[in-house]
Amino acid sequence: MNRRHLLSVLPALALAAPLRAAEEPIRLRELYEKDLSFSDIALDAEGRRIPIWGFMAPPLKADSVFFVLTNRPMAVCPFCEPGMPWPDDILAVYAKRIVDVVPFNVPIVVEGVLELGDYVDPELGFYSKVRLADATFRRV
Amino acid sequence: MKHILLATSALVAVAGASMAQDLPQAGTEWFTDAEAALAARLETQPITARAKNVILFTADGNGVGTNYAIRLFSGQLEGGLGDDYVQPQETLPYSALVKTYSSNGQTPDSAPTAMAMNSGVKGKNGMINVMDTVAVGDCAAGAEAGTKTFAEIASEMGKSVGVISTARITHATPAAVYARTVNRDWEDNSLLPEGCTQKDIADQLIDQMKAGVIDIALGGGRQHFLPTETTDVEGKAGKRTDGRDLTAEATEAGAQVVFGDEDFAALTMGDNAPVLGLFEASHMKYEYDRTGEPSLAEMTEATINALSSNEEGYYISIEAGRVDHANHEGNLYRVLTDGKAFADAIAKAMELTNPEETLIIVTADHEHAIAFNGYCGRGSKINGLCMGENEQGTEHTGEPNLGDDGKPYTVVNYLNGAGAVVTEQADGTWSGSRPDLTEEEATDPDYVQQALIPLSSETHSGEDVAVFARGPWAHLFRGVIEQNEIFHVMNYAVHAE
Repeated sequence: MNRRHLLSVLPALALAAPLRAAEEPIRLRELYEKDLSFSDIALDAEGRRIPIWGFMAPPLKADSVFFVLTNRPMAVCPFCEPGMPWPDDILAVYAKRIVDVVPFNVPIVVEGVLELGDYVDPELGFYSKVRLADATFRRV
Repeated sequence: MKHILLATSALVAVAGASMAQDLPQAGTEWFTDAEAALAARLETQPITARAKNVILFTADGNGVGTNYAIRLFSGQLEGGLGDDYVQPQETLPYSALVKTYSSNGQTPDSAPTAMAMNSGVKGKNGMINVMDTVAVGDCAAGAEAGTKTFAEIASEMGKSVGVISTARITHATPAAVYARTVNRDWEDNSLLPEGCTQKDIADQLIDQMKAGVIDIALGGGRQHFLPTETTDVEGKAGKRTDGRDLTAEATEAGAQVVFGDEDFAALTMGDNAPVLGLFEASHMKYEYDRTGEPSLAEMTEATINALSSNEEGYYISIEAGRVDHANHEGNLYRVLTDGKAFADAIAKAMELTNPEETLIIVTADHEHAIAFNGYCGRGSKINGLCMGENEQGTEHTGEPNLGDDGKPYTVVNYLNGAGAVVTEQADGTWSGSRPDLTEEEATDPDYVQQALIPLSSETHSGEDVAVFARGPWAHLFRGVIEQNEIFHVMNYAVHAE
């Protein structure tokens, strides 16, 4: 890249940076088609760092970097059944650091690298189809 | 022709009364519509023949308030304001309010309410078709205190029996058609206490199919029929710890067993072989999310068509099981879409049956802690913001009403649940304020309504539900009744001389 070329792309870079910082989080449901196959949005974002809006399900394990992101608050209905099953449209999150638990009904935005494909957590045995790795999150 | 003459004469009589009074409002549409409705009511005659068939529709958690919300939603789906819409069940000629409390609960769960309708007596929360002299979970006492169900009575009369639910087929409402249990959670053997001789609910369903009591059973709940070492057609493991595959046992006993919409559509119905349809590992999907599964209306149609070949008649229990679950989530949108699917199934049953011989009953087992705000202008989306009334016209102003906090509010809130505006803070204290809200956010299908008391799951309530009916002896539904009287009307109708 010569100076002339650099100067020509600088305005674009300057524009791109704030745009990227302000990238609107997508909804978890946008990763899936109705038949639970991956959407084009998911396929396009694979391997990329993206923000996703959702809710932190009550963690399976204390002091862990792992939690499950749900599309709606994971209400536990005492009359639905003992041991409520997970919804189909969830996402496994592997955070950068030990997770500070957020209540199940407080919306959060998680930002991480999108991974697609079947994976079974070797420690928890948790099966996931889609994950955010190296993730950070914040209340919104 | 005679009927037309009668109807015409009733209308003339009703109109004549108001004309004689010379009321200035008599020419308005409101007035003439009401006259026509009154005339139709004057013509309604009770049907006192013996009921050949009985269809009991239950939308779980669809009390008067929830039903109201679904009415507005359905009307607004068709482009109307919503409140003047008439659901199929609301065209049935007879109705009553129903008291739903259980033996030991001011607020019931779905076990004793379904027992009330299927056995004619109230029971304790958590138990199904076991009398309330027994403590919940007491296997030994429960074995001696079971009821005889309406399905068993109907079967002894030579009638066929179908049970349909969009919840697990082993869930409380459908289970009350065929099972007796001192604990509604014993859907498979894994939770049965050691030494308990009571069979789990899934096992009881297969027994009742083998015994010829249950002819068709359609719903979710595959996991309770499969052993833990077996996965189903969608790769989900069973929950049985006794190694039994009840779907295989049903097949060996001559039943047709299906797992999805395609093999369901290919079923050979009406050949007298029992049918077991298990379309999900757990509950069937909400109507909004449904894929690869038949709709409630499709299951209703197939079952009525199949069982209509029995000249002795049938009893079918049909449940929209997930109106309740969406209410528990505080997610009104799925309440509404499952409620509309319920209404579509009722319309299908009305279309396929003759009121002279088929008693159709539409009710709910209990209500929820759903609540409605005012003062919303007409046409405010039932799942949206409460808009201002328009003093210059009919439809709302498009400007949301504001609370004293300066923020808009939705038409529907819940008294408790996941949408609570008070949330747990990082230091363990509880506080919060209402989030701001736009119409777009409120009408999002995944929106959870704001609620007052924080609970992980929104609760049932003890408020009345409605019952609507048509057909033989439907006129016995009037006033305010106990829920267990529904059984007694069904039982009377099929035995009436």
